[in-house]
Amino acid sequence: MNLPDYNFLPAPLWVITVLHLVTLMLHFAAMNFLVGGVIVILFGKFKNRWNDPTAQKFIKLFPIAMMATITLGIAPLLFLQLVYPRQAYAAAIVSGWFWLLIVVVAIIVYYFLYAASFSQDSSRRWIALYLSVALVGFVYISYVYSSTFSLAERPDLVKLIYTHTQSGFTLNPDVGSYILRWLHMILGAITVGGFFVGLLGMNNPQAYNVGKQFFLNGMIVTMLVGLGYLFTLDEILLSFMRSPAVWFLMVSIAMSLGALRFFFTRRFAVSGIMLLVSLLGMVTIRHYVRLLHLEGVYDPAAYAIKPQWSVFALFLNCFVIAIVAVWYMLRLNHHSIDAAHDRLES
Amino acid sequence: MEITLNYPFWDVGIGYGVLMAIFAVTHVFVSHFAIGGGLYLVVAETAARRKNDTERLNFLQQLSKFFVLVTVVFGALTGVSIWFVIGLLNPAGTEVLIHNFVWGWAIEWTFFIIELCAAILYFYGWQKISARNHLTIGWIYFIAAWLSLFIINGIVTFMLTPGKWIETGNFWDSFFNPTFWSSLVLRTGICLMLAGLYALLVASRYKASDFKRRLVRYNAVWGIVGLVITMLSFLWYVGAIPDTIMTAAIDKMPTPILSIRAMYVYSGGIATFLILFGLILPRAYHTVIGIGVMILGLAWFGSFEWFRESVRKPYVIYGYMYANGIDIAHADLYQRDGYLPHMAFRTGDDGADLFRRSCRSCHTMSGYHPLRPIFDGTDKEFIAGMIKGVHVAKGNMPQFLGTEGEVRILAAYLYNKVDHRHLSKIYSLSGAALGRKVYDIRCGPCHIFGGFNDKSASLIGLNDQEYNDMLNIADDLGEEMPAFTGDEVERKALIEYLTSLSKGGTP
Ligand code: HEC
Ligand code: HEC
Repeated sequence: MNLPDYNFLPAPLWVITVLHLVTLMLHFAAMNFLVGGVIVILFGKFKNRWNDPTAQKFIKLFPIAMMATITLGIAPLLFLQLVYPRQAYAAAIVSGWFWLLIVVVAIIVYYFLYAASFSQDSSRRWIALYLSVALVGFVYISYVYSSTFSLAERPDLVKLIYTHTQSGFTLNPDVGSYILRWLHMILGAITVGGFFVGLLGMNNPQAYNVGKQFFLNGMIVTMLVGLGYLFTLDEILLSFMRSPAVWFLMVSIAMSLGALRFFFTRRFAVSGIMLLVSLLGMVTIRHYVRLLHLEGVYDPAAYAIKPQWSVFALFLNCFVIAIVAVWYMLRLNHHSIDAAHDRLES
Repeated sequence: MEITLNYPFWDVGIGYGVLMAIFAVTHVFVSHFAIGGGLYLVVAETAARRKNDTERLNFLQQLSKFFVLVTVVFGALTGVSIWFVIGLLNPAGTEVLIHNFVWGWAIEWTFFIIELCAAILYFYGWQKISARNHLTIGWIYFIAAWLSLFIINGIVTFMLTPGKWIETGNFWDSFFNPTFWSSLVLRTGICLMLAGLYALLVASRYKASDFKRRLVRYNAVWGIVGLVITMLSFLWYVGAIPDTIMTAAIDKMPTPILSIRAMYVYSGGIATFLILFGLILPRAYHTVIGIGVMILGLAWFGSFEWFRESVRKPYVIYGYMYANGIDIAHADLYQRDGYLPHMAFRTGDDGADLFRRSCRSCHTMSGYHPLRPIFDGTDKEFIAGMIKGVHVAKGNMPQFLGTEGEVRILAAYLYNKVDHRHLSKIYSLSGAALGRKVYDIRCGPCHIFGGFNDKSASLIGLNDQEYNDMLNIADDLGEEMPAFTGDEVERKALIEYLTSLSKGGTP
């Protein structure tokens, strides 16, 4: 029978890759606000931590940051599954239980973040507990992601694991190959978290200083660990060095350092944009590492392209509508708040 | 050889159906409320503002907190969880969906962004934002939420009724498929009904008062209107499912009928409670009743999803891919070379691999739809016969497309796991009672007296010789019918049983 073939991409590969990387960058930015924020607020040198206005602001914002992280994470996961289904699902299946537990953990974390944000003055002392639970959850989720996605780049290893066990109780056993990758992500999150604390606390000397410390020190450590990770790439290190990824690496490092500099001179907008660009560079590098690992085994460019332009155009339209709608609602929100202030003042 | 079965198999202890149901039913129960509740909030807020009803506004504010905590957190994440689960349980099916519908999902995602932002602003905006702007945001929320239903409805209905897509492969054919519109109305009805049920739950916690009376009545009306729309459009929906699909499903399984019956019972229950405690005795709408009605609602939804899934069997995408992830497009390939050479992931135990690929997504050996009791006390020959004829047995199962050699391997694998004692020993039976067991095991999967593929006309009223002759040529009676491979004891018992039926015994 002549049934429709599903082995195709509904848009050119580059379109999908660009969307994938950009949404992944946004996901990481939100994740860094959240995870980095929680860590900095928990461990930063605040006097009177739970009464600090910047810390309070963060605690109020964490549930929303969680929402943003998840929402912005859905899109890149969608594109990952579109282009690399064979690798992604296979890796997820051999780690089935750990993978599925991510969602359960995320729900728990989410409610703890809400609990923290709804805490009144009297229950302040619980906040540390709530945020610590959330942090444990973040460690779990991020570690399983690192394990699974690095496993997805090693189809042979997945096959080997599967011949030994089929019950979905294994993480990537080659810990050495991804522990630094994971650490780099977490440290990066702390670094960017430092930036955000400084940004939201720009008028609060204490918060700004805490943020600055984390931003600066975090950046140094993150870079060292990142470098260390490169050396664990083993056999693909050489091809990595010859690939365009090296250029993205240079640009990312330069942008990170630039971000640091402008942060010190309190030009937050420039600093933030540079940080975002460096994040984009990082996800692009990550993308190259994946392609290099899969070289010879799997080439996404081999997919037939059967564009669904009409649907794609509709998507772009809806995307613009979404941005406009969100912008419009935020304006309604602000106007009303301003109006309320005016009313109060007059 | 070309690899077409691309995925490993997650061999969990729990049945796939159970796992899927846990995540899917909780998600739909919350996500439909997320839509209906949005409409409820804006409509009720408009009315309350017009009448300057502060009591009502306070209630709505409380409801919206509950709403945000339930929908934004739980609804959103259980939605994500469905992604995780289907990728684990049916990666091949998910791959088909994602290649065809990725832009559909991307569109849904844009609505999702609007929805979440609106929900948050609405919730935090009760005191801060002007009434008009607050309502505008509420409406934006509802529209975005409903549009996301519009999209996902196209994908879910596609799986049951892919319609013209099977020939054209065109996106729009798959999206606007035969059950799209009826299902959209049906699900919209569910949204309204659930809005009423959830609001009733929150209202049930209020002390009996005049306000509670008005509130409960109002909420009950939402529930009843939603229920009426739902049940009427359900008939439309069932009618829109092509007859070939419906008859095949009803013929081979009691489940579709049972689940429809369950739906009627639950909707009767919901209607009774809503009328009795919602309209007539609203002040007595106690939290226990509120919870009870929620449970009925959940059970109703479970039955509906159960119906949908059971009608879709044996497929995950009707006519295109079996529920166990075997794609029909490659049927010829599997029939020629078998499954094994086309599998990307093999463990070295071919029997286990074949079992996982072809049966394990619906059966375990001794837990969920267990195969052990079905095959205990039988022989390799019979098991092989059942594997070859599995698609004509009750249960509406996918055909085993592998080769004769693979049938043997799988049969040997299953045979190794079952009880090898004689049936009479296992069940301590003899005579006609043993015969009845023999019938249930060796014939029952394909013929039920007075039920599925009934053969009483040919089986009742023969003499010993005729019975013996029939059993001797059993494998010639139907293409998929296995030979009778029971021993003399089983044979005699079976004949004794069949003879007793002829004498007016009850099957
Ligand atoms: C799509 C899901 C699915 C798949 C795949 C599947 N089955 Fe079934 N099977 C069922 C259901 C549901 C029933 C009905 C159970 C009942 O009626 O209680 C059933 C019933 C049976 C029965 C009849 C049992 C009885 O009640 O008499 C046998 C035998 C059987 N299956 C064997 C197999 C074998 C062997 C395979 C693999 C080759 C297989 N099934 C694959 C879903 C499936
Ligand atoms: C794997 C499924 C399967 C099993 C098990 C099975 N049958 Fe059948 N049987 C069929 C099929 C298929 C046909 C032929 C098509 C039809 O009539 O449904 C058939 C036909 C028959 C017929 C012919 C009916 C006629 O119209 O004359 C009889 C009698 C019969 N079966 C009896 C039995 C008995 C007795 C057993 C148990 C020993 C049994 N079958 C086990 C599938 C099965």
